[in-house]
Parts: sequence; structure tokens; C-alpha cells
Amino acid sequence: MPFVRRYKDLSTNLDGLYTDIVRELQQEKDLEIVKETNGVINDVRFRSVTAIRATVPRAVTGTLREVSVTVAGDPDDWLLELHTGAWFGNMVLPGAGGFLIAGPVGTAAAAGTTTVLAVTYGRKLKNRIKELVKRHSGKKYTEEKVETFIS
Amino acid sequence: MPYVKRYKDLNTDLKVVYDDIKYELQTGKELNVVKEQDGTVNGVPFKSIFAVRESVPKALTGTLREVTVTITGMADDWLLEVHTGAWFNNMITPATGGLIIAGPLGGLAASGTAAVYAVKFERDLKNRIKEIVKKHSKKPYTEDKVETF
Repeated sequence: MPFVRRYKDLSTNLDGLYTDIVRELQQEKDLEIVKETNGVINDVRFRSVTAIRATVPRAVTGTLREVSVTVAGDPDDWLLELHTGAWFGNMVLPGAGGFLIAGPVGTAAAAGTTTVLAVTYGRKLKNRIKELVKRHSGKKYTEEKVETFIS
Repeated sequence: MPYVKRYKDLNTDLKVVYDDIKYELQTGKELNVVKEQDGTVNGVPFKSIFAVRESVPKALTGTLREVTVTITGMADDWLLEVHTGAWFNNMITPATGGLIIAGPLGGLAASGTAAVYAVKFERDLKNRIKEIVKKHSKKPYTEDKVETF
């Protein structure tokens, strides 16, 4: 599930922030950066990085498949979008931790002990990005300067 | 929004279905296939393909960013997952087609005539995949053999 945050009045060094986010993705051993997009859209600066799982997972359902992070805007008014995708994430039964399917395909859902789950990774990355925003902002970070959009 | 379909009792040639879907992605003018995964997960065959947008888009909100298609299972019981990702999709105000934000960032939302929107791409791909599945299944395709999650 993607989420978007709008940050205002922080005087954030967006180049420094983006570089550190890319470094975070590079440090995750199961991820491989496949695309970086950097440009201007309607006079607004835009940077985006996409990383995907490097290998066939040991388990499928809920396993981290891809991550994309986008930073767009100006130091005092910008947007961050974080998307983490999971294989067959919508086949996990909410609350029960079970699966909708069984039979021959059901075994594809079995959990592996070393699996990187999208939900866990997304939470970790979100917290890390918060630290990075604070580090690269010239003004004091407060919660009222941040607005979150979740679909 | 990802969707998953389960296909049963179709005796589908999954390799050919995968190859045809790959061809569809390769011929998408804004897409570049960057990763393919082929193996088994807990003894079940698994294939996944990942394509990303080639260039900086002319418009951002709702524009196609990436596509993933995964096929796993056996000829008579298998799953298809299609995911299309779009930039800032959740900033579109439902039903109105308007945008939550304005001001300096509002410019990101402006429509470009050449933009490839995720929602349209996914609809077209879904229809195309249905044709491909029918073509490469030895048993008759009926709606009751397909379950959508």
C-alpha cells in the first residue's frame, strides 16, 4: 500500500535526502536497484528510485517484491511517496494470518524463515526516512509540518 | 491495485502464456523489462516479470510507474498476479478526478496528452491476458473456472 507525505517549511536538502534513501535501498541485500528517474515535470523537480527483489523468494505470499521511493518538490514544500509491493499480498486473510487458497498452489504461500516481508520492510524504511528527513532539514521538524495521504 | 486470479481445470501451457505476456510488456512503448525471475517456491513453478517506465513522465499523478506479472502453479491450478504502480495515485480525489493538493506541487498533476495511465494500462493488459489464457488452454475457458481475489 503506497503512502504519500507532504512536508512543508522544513528547508530540506532533497538531493542529500534522496541520495541517502538510495543508499538505504542499496544496503538491503535482497534488493537490486533497477531504475532511477530524475528530471523536472511542469517545473517541479522529481527524483524516483525503484528496487526489486534480486532473487526468487523462498516464500511468496507477502514477500517484498519491489520498493519505489519518489521525492518531488522544493525544499519548503515537497512530497514523498513510498510504495512497497508484495507477491499475492491480497491473498493473506486479514487478522488470521492464513491464506485463502490451499491445494497445489497453496504451498507457494508457505513462510520461509528468512523472508523479507513487505509490511515489515515498509515500516522499517518509513522510520528510517523520518530520521533522514530530520537530518537533511535546515528547519526544525515537527509533526504539524507533515501531512500523510493514504488511499 | 494488484489483482490475483486463480485458474483451475484449464490445462494451460504456462510457459507460453508467460512468454506472450512478456511480449506484451516488451512492446509497450513506455516500458522496459528489467527483471525476470524463474524458479520454484516450495516445489511450485514460479515466474515473475518486472517492467518499469523508461523515461521521466510528462505528467505524474496516476502515470504508470511499474508493472509486475507473476504466474505460479501447475497447468490445471495456477495463479496470476498483475500489479501496476502509479505515481501519487492516492492523491487523486475519488469520483471527482480532482487532486488533493495545489500550490507549487500542483503542477505535478497536470495532464500530458501522451501520459500512460496505470489504470488504463492495467485494464488493457487484463483483457489481453484473458485472450492469451484462452489461446493457450487446452480445455474450454469458462468463467466458473476463474476466481478473482
